[in-house]
Parts: sequence; structure tokens; C-alpha cells
Amino acid sequence: MTEISTELALLVDVGSAWAKAGVIGRIRGRWRLVAHAAQPTAWGPAELRRSLIRQLNAAGDPRLADRFDELLASANRIECHTARQPGRLAVVAVSRELSGSTARRAAEAAGWQVTELVTLDDGRSLAERLATLQAADVDAWLVAGGFDDSRSPRALEAAALVASARMPDGGPVIWAGSAQLTNEVMLLFEGGAASAVANARPDAKREEPGPLRDRLQAILRQSVAPEDEAHLSTIAFTHAVGAIAADGGLRVLAVDLGARGGVRVVAEADGTTSTTVHSSGGMAGATLMAGAAGRVARLAGDAGDEAAVADVLQTLRARPASLPQTPEELSATQAAARMLIGAMVEDPATDPVDLVIGAGLTISGAPHPAQAARMLLDGVRPLGITQLAVDSGSVLGPLGSLGDDEIGEGMTLLADDLLLPLGTAVVCRGGEPGDAAMRVTVHRSGWPTPSPVEVRVGQLLVAPLGRGQEAELLIEPAAGVSLGAPRRSSRIQARATGGAVGLILDARGMPIALPRRGDDRRAVLAGWRDALIRETERIA
Amino acid sequence: MSVMHRVRLPVGATTLVEIGHGVEPAEVLATSRPPGGGTSLQVASRLRRSAAEAVDLLSVRPGTVLEAGERLAEDGDGREVLAPYACLFLGYDADDGTALIAPLGATEPILGHVRGEVTSVGAEAIEIRVTGALVAGVGGSGSAVHGELRMAVHEPGEELRAGAIDVGATGRIMVGGSRASAETLTRARAMGVAGIVLGGVLDKELRDFEATQVRRREVGGVRGDFAIVMISGFGKVGLDAALFAWFQSHEGRLASLFGAAARIYVYDADPPPARRALARVGDRVIAHRRPFAGLGGELVRVLDLPHATPAGVTARSGLVRFEDGRSAIVPLANLEAMEPRDSG
Repeated sequence: MTEISTELALLVDVGSAWAKAGVIGRIRGRWRLVAHAAQPTAWGPAELRRSLIRQLNAAGDPRLADRFDELLASANRIECHTARQPGRLAVVAVSRELSGSTARRAAEAAGWQVTELVTLDDGRSLAERLATLQAADVDAWLVAGGFDDSRSPRALEAAALVASARMPDGGPVIWAGSAQLTNEVMLLFEGGAASAVANARPDAKREEPGPLRDRLQAILRQSVAPEDEAHLSTIAFTHAVGAIAADGGLRVLAVDLGARGGVRVVAEADGTTSTTVHSSGGMAGATLMAGAAGRVARLAGDAGDEAAVADVLQTLRARPASLPQTPEELSATQAAARMLIGAMVEDPATDPVDLVIGAGLTISGAPHPAQAARMLLDGVRPLGITQLAVDSGSVLGPLGSLGDDEIGEGMTLLADDLLLPLGTAVVCRGGEPGDAAMRVTVHRSGWPTPSPVEVRVGQLLVAPLGRGQEAELLIEPAAGVSLGAPRRSSRIQARATGGAVGLILDARGMPIALPRRGDDRRAVLAGWRDALIRETERIA
Repeated sequence: MSVMHRVRLPVGATTLVEIGHGVEPAEVLATSRPPGGGTSLQVASRLRRSAAEAVDLLSVRPGTVLEAGERLAEDGDGREVLAPYACLFLGYDADDGTALIAPLGATEPILGHVRGEVTSVGAEAIEIRVTGALVAGVGGSGSAVHGELRMAVHEPGEELRAGAIDVGATGRIMVGGSRASAETLTRARAMGVAGIVLGGVLDKELRDFEATQVRRREVGGVRGDFAIVMISGFGKVGLDAALFAWFQSHEGRLASLFGAAARIYVYDADPPPARRALARVGDRVIAHRRPFAGLGGELVRVLDLPHATPAGVTARSGLVRFEDGRSAIVPLANLEAMEPRDSG
């Protein structure tokens, strides 16, 4: 019997709730993603392998049918995984609205899970606060309060609370409050336990969370996640996005919306990256957001009332590895994803980018590519002309765990399977409701010159532009309408690339304005949904 | 079956038990004197030092409990600052030379709410080995309570109604079915029910109930503890039939309920039906998502190819024959297998 030459590699991404795996193999000289499986992590690696083998048996070379198990066992395995345990932080601050909210956001953006938030205006007694803090099982403590031009006794009291509740050697303490109290606060703790960082809320009107976020990220790496960093999903995903940006000379925004946490990466054209990890920013965290059920019910339009949506959001928290079965649950889940992406990209705000990538099962596993595009469009609101793509094969994480010398080769090998392009979005803001927002002429090589498409304020249209196709756009924004960049003429020329959805012309504004009346709102939302899914052929 | 249970102690608590001690749920394990609001106490001026110099003369660290007359600071030349009353030392302000202290209130008991044997005693916590069956839920609300189990409904999918809460329920842990309204929960609390176990509850109703409790607590209208634990999910979700039968067979047994932690201990009990993530053909399963959430059935067949749900999500799926007579194709990710009791 002739020995068949095979080359396989196994890409595995083990998340907190879902594990994804892909097999890449050489077919007629080209490397392709030949099998892909996603399953609850709790099912274990053996089941994941069985799923891949089932697919390979169905679609692979029948002569290898008995050998796939052995071939997978010997395949080069490239793996990344979610941090085994998120860093747990107690935040103690003077005010819930000012120092407390700033500290909490900075901590979550740095990847910490805020397990306790105690503020001196939370309505609890001192005894209750002390009991809460002493019961807190945390890896570190963050204390904030007081403006830099004052010596707030309340801020000192917040630090004293931590000093009283925390056991000696009970984890590092970070003081991010009034600079004038730093010495006093340091004296409250044993030597070396506490460190100070610039006040994240130096005055009532200013918020400067950057230094605090950086310090918290550094402490998280040192004290909580001393794992093999290259294989941590957050690090690997960032690495892969940076490589894509450098390879294409693009400015890229990527959001990975996981079951429990979320990651936002901004990569510059030179490959430099900045990452914010939102430990509670995944689907399970939706229920923690203020007024989440009401917001999601409004954003979805067809997911049921607020009470029904509240149950769906709680289910996402309680059973993160389960899947939406009914259209209403899917609608609520995707609306929650839009809300969560919006929260991730607004803190800190992101300047316009060339490419937006969506990752995570809710986005990349959406039943229809238009739904994935909608989550990215509504969540990110990418002003200007932006390509959209999803990590449909869940390959970015594993690929990013490769070294700098290998990642380029890996991207080249995967080529068409690296990302699923959704198309190009043209998003504008401004203008009066009902008026024309922009006229867009789409020139495609070999096609007759079409009439311009008029997009009205509040409208969302899709023009067909398939994967691999390109088009020249001539965009004429109306007076008072902006695409982000400063304009030198009344016409903007740009190039658009196609994808699974096409060319999306979006004049819904920033933020998206929705009618107040429920029936009107539902009609508008349904119109946008249908436009993305069905109007592709209509305006060609 | 045994589970380690940890009872956290507040600052300055006095423990009353030793290792090896057998404890009951209502037994006082420790006492504490909760601190009141913080007040300032002059330190530097009494020691005739500057505020900055007095830092080094403190005898205590933040978190120290001081009895009345106990030394807080001294200068070595006979001057000292004593605690004016029993208090908790919170911190020292090196700018104005004052100590922040919180007077201690009346002694309050700390109950463990569990039956078991003390295995360790520390300043931070007491650990108890609990001999009993543990049932974990998906969510809950409230504090730690204990009481006898009492079935409040006849069927696992039956709603717990306010009419089922009578005087006989006082001090008991009631096992309901698919949901309980905010009104039912309010009545239960008013009737002195210790806790409620449900298959599910509408998140909105639970939040409404919690909001009313917070408001009543603020005006001093709520006494005693109360806890709720949801076993299956959120919404109108029944208890799994096998678990419901297990609770029925243990009616009258002592149980401890931890609302926020979503845990239940039932003492002198058989192991509850165990669950497994990946169901196989022939398994008894329970579904976790609408429209079958909380329903039990049998996994009849696993489909060869992935199947799209009505929502369009494609996933590995199986045909389930539900106990209510319906059959449906359900993603395996939305099913849990119930292990037979004698499996081992």
C-alpha cells in the first residue's frame, strides 16, 4: 500500500466556557482549514478530538479514514487558553459615582475582576463594610478617593478600612487617591505592601485612569498570572492582531467577546498594540451592567419585554456554555453583545481604524454574517470607511501564541482562512432626520457606471460586493455630515473590499438614535435587520 | 459525604469553639462587637509631639480592637493615649495628629448555620467539616439560614403560590417548583420562612423583592434572615423531577441554605442526583434553555451532523423525548445528563 504524505497542524483555543479547535492540512499544495469544532470546555479534550475526527472522516481523504486519530495525535499542536483564574480585586473608594466608578473601570480594563466594591456612600454601616471586606477573598486591594488639591479625611478613612480588614501579607495594596495623603496611607500598611500611583480622579472634572490601569496590569501579571504568557489568550490574541496590522499596514481594532471576559486590541500599522482586558466584559457580564435588561430589550426590539431579557442575561451568566435556541434569545444575546462591545470601545475612546475584527463565539459563530456585521457596526460605530472581518475559525489566538519568527509564516499559510471578511462599512454622522446624509457611487471594474445611491439620515443600506471583489467609492456627504476625517472637498474617494455581507452604507449616526415609541422603534430595528440580511440584491 | 465549610469572622471576633468540637446550625461559634461610625481622637497633642512625630509612637496597627483604657500610643516619658471606650483602631492621620477609632457596639453572636465538626479556628475564619449532601444552584439571594425542609408544591413544575405559605412554614426551608412571585417571596419572609429553594425565578421579580427588602431594612422593618436559592435557571423553570423527588424523600431533614453562594446542605441525606456535562444516548437529561428550560427527558439519539436551532445557531444536537410528551432536537450544549443514583 502506498504511504500517503500528510501534513496537519492542530490549532486549539481553550476558553473559560468554550473550547475551539481547527485542523489545517495541505490540500493540493495549499494549506486550508480542513476541520473546525467548538464545544463546551467541560466536555474535555478527548471529545474535541472526536469531533474533529468525525469531520475529517466525512470530508477528508477516505484512504486516511483509520489514521486521523493517530495523525491528530502527532500533529503540531498550537494552543492558547484563557487565564485559569482572573485576578480578584477589592475596590474601596470614597464615592461610588466619582472615585469608585473610575477605579472600578480602570481595574476591569486592566483585566481584574472586581469582587467587592465598597464606598463610603454605599449606605452600609462601618461594621457591614468591614465585614464585607474581611470576607473578601481577593488577590489585591485598590483604594481611591480625594482630589489632589485636598487632604480628604474620608479618603484616609477608606484606606484605614482596608488596613483594618486586610490580613498581614493579604495581597498588595494600590493607593490611587489624593497625592497629598500618600505618605499617611503608606504608613497604614506593613512595609512594601502598599504602593501609590497617580490619582485616577485628580479633580471633580478630570479622569486619568491610564497610570492606574498600567500599574494594575503589571501587578496582575506579576502576582496572579505567572503562567506561560505567550499562550494566554489575551496575549496571543493581541500578538496576532498586531501581526495582521503590520502585515497589511493597517490600523486595526479587534474585540474578542468571550463568555466571561472581553479583550479590546488596537494595533497600529507598525504592529504596536495596546490592549485592554475587561474581565467582566464578556457575555456573562452583561447582567452586571446598569439597566442592562432594559437597554438590551430596547436595542433588540424583538427579544421580548425587559423581564424576559433579564432572564436571558442571567442565563448567559449562569450557563455560559449553553446556546440560544429561540430567535428571541438569539436577538437578546446579540443585542447584549452590541452593548458590551460598545462599553469596551468607549473606554478609552478609539480613533478611526481601517479594519475591525470580531472574535468570540457570539460574534464569529453568529448564524448569519450580517448579524456579526451588525454587532460590530452597532457596538464599535466605526466612523468613516472601515473593513469588517470575523475570526470565524478561532485561529487568531492559537496563531498569536507562535513566536515572532513563526507568526508571519502561519498567517501566510492560512491566507484565506485567517479571517472571514464581511465587507466594508461607510459610517457617517450628523445631518437632520429624513434628509440625505450621503450619496455613494460604487464603481466596480467591468461593471457599467451605476447611479449614485442616496442614503438618508437614519438609513442603513447594503450594496452587493462579494468576497474578493473591490470597488472604488465616490462619497458625497451632505452638509453637516461627517465621516470622521477633516474634509478638503465635497467628495471623498475610497476603495472598498467585499465580503460575506457586502458594502454597508450606514447613516444611523453616533450614537444610534432610536425612536421613543415602542412600535416605531421595533419597526426601525426590524428594517435595519432586514436591510443587512436581505437588501443586498435590491440596490445593486 | 463531607464538605468543608468556612465561616468568616469579623475583625476582633471572640471564638467560642475549639478544633474537634461538634457544632449545630444554631450554635454560637463566636461573638463580635460591630463597630459604629468612626470618630477622631487626639493623639499628637496629648503626647506633645508634632503630628508627623507621633506616628512612631503608636502602639497599635489598623484593625486592632482595644478595650476601654487600653493603650493606643505612648511617648516613653510617661505620656500615653488610652482608648476612651472599647473601640476599633482604624488609622492615624499624620496631618492633624488624630486617630480614627470606631466605638464597639453590643456583643452579637455569630452562627455557623451548619452542622459539623470544627477542623480549624483562626482569627479570620472557623472551618467546619459538614457531613451532608451538597446541592449547588445557579443563583441566589440573601444570607445564611437553616431549618427543616418542607415541600411547598406537589409537582416540580408547579409555581409556589402565596397560599402555600402558612404558619407551619415558619422557620422552615420551603421547596417550591418553577417560580415564585415577588408577592409570594414577601409573604414568605413576613411569615418567618427561613428560606426557599426553587427551580427558577424571574430575575425581575427577584430584584423587585430584593429592592423592597432593602427599603424595609432602611426603615427598620425587616428582622431575621431569609435566603433564596435557584437550582435550574432564571425564568419560569421547574425543578428537575429527579431532584424534586430527592427533596421529597428528605422532607423534614435539617438543611442549611446560603443564598448569595447558591448552596444547600441537607444533613443525614443520600447523595443528590449527580449531573454530567456531556450527555450520551440513553441518558436522562435536563434542558437548560428556552423553550425547554428545566424539562427532563431522555436523549434518544445524537445526530450525525450539526443541526440548526430555530434561532439558526448550528450545533451538535440530539433528539430528546421530554417527560411532558414532546420530542425535540436540542443542542447537546444545552443538556446536562443526570447520573443514575447507583452509578457509583
